[in-house]
Amino acid sequence: MSKKGFRPDVDAPEWKGGHQPYDIIKEGTIALIVVALLTVVFAVMFGSPDDKEITIKTWANAAPLDFAQTALGEMNGTTTTAGYGAPYNTASTGQTLGPLQLAKWAGVRIPINTEKDFVIRPLETQPYDPTLSSALTSWKAASSTQQTTWVNNFTKASNSMKFVNGNVVASTSDSGPVPVFINDLTHMARSGALDADLISGGSFFTTDYTKPLLFLSDGGYLAKLAQDQHLLGSQWGMMNETNSYPGQAWLWLYTFWYQITPFSSSSNADVQVWGMMMLLSVILLLVPVIPGLRALPRKMKVYRLIWREHYRDQ
Amino acid sequence: MAFISFLAALIPLDGLGHYLHWGVIYISVANFIVIVLMILTFITALLAPFPGRSRRKESK
Repeated sequence: MSKKGFRPDVDAPEWKGGHQPYDIIKEGTIALIVVALLTVVFAVMFGSPDDKEITIKTWANAAPLDFAQTALGEMNGTTTTAGYGAPYNTASTGQTLGPLQLAKWAGVRIPINTEKDFVIRPLETQPYDPTLSSALTSWKAASSTQQTTWVNNFTKASNSMKFVNGNVVASTSDSGPVPVFINDLTHMARSGALDADLISGGSFFTTDYTKPLLFLSDGGYLAKLAQDQHLLGSQWGMMNETNSYPGQAWLWLYTFWYQITPFSSSSNADVQVWGMMMLLSVILLLVPVIPGLRALPRKMKVYRLIWREHYRDQ
Repeated sequence: MAFISFLAALIPLDGLGHYLHWGVIYISVANFIVIVLMILTFITALLAPFPGRSRRKESK
């Protein structure tokens, strides 16, 4: 069997120098203690970014008209959630990567009908009120065509929507029970009852915030707060934190792609950026077997800087 | 408790953040400082002499 020549970047030369004992447990313990102490000292010095949570109650009290408009959007199907596609509904194909319809293939795993789940069902849980009860009865008795006509008529009048003396009012006609729904849902939201209903959602556990978060993100209030804090995707928000705190600086590359074309103008940016990061991750993983790329450490000679004492003596 | 409250966040970071903008780059001052510190730490790790170097020299 012929002996192959030495291949740099692949073969490791046999070490013929001396050996010294090395106490890795001691070094690990020192590192652990130093990092723990630094963590405590920095926590005392800087505190932590713990802004008060934003709920639907906060939103509906701060911007009742924005809430009412969004609630109407949930009924007429114009909100982001209503038209998102999988995993919430089948309203659109969802995120695609070229010909791969990834979101559609994953399917509707968290079914949400915004009209029923965000408006009608929460209203049905309210204590008996003759006006609301009558409105719900007439809604259920109406055909879907009639329901659509009512919602469309109220949508046309939505520009005249006002919040007067704690009530949402609009100049509208032939909108059936829709004005009652929007007004009562706004009352429900301002009291905090809508948060409670959407969180519990009939389930035993009350830790699933999917529905209230989707409802919140459909409105303009949360987006405005995010913009003020530089947290939007277009503001490199993925790596930012609230106020003056440092954020997730290590996500710079992930959020960088969102800032440049074609990603910044693509409706499939989420899956495209994910695909790009997966590609780069695979390349990083395979560096040891990629000729040229694996030679970079040898050619850049940074190791000679680290072990300069050793190379000086040679 | 009052002592802890006094100590808490000696350096207040609850004010609105400041941001640097160069072309497509948009970065908070806080993140910028953290990244500069990481780079400085990396350069220090490259250039700082290994601990115990003088002991090893003496033993040679």
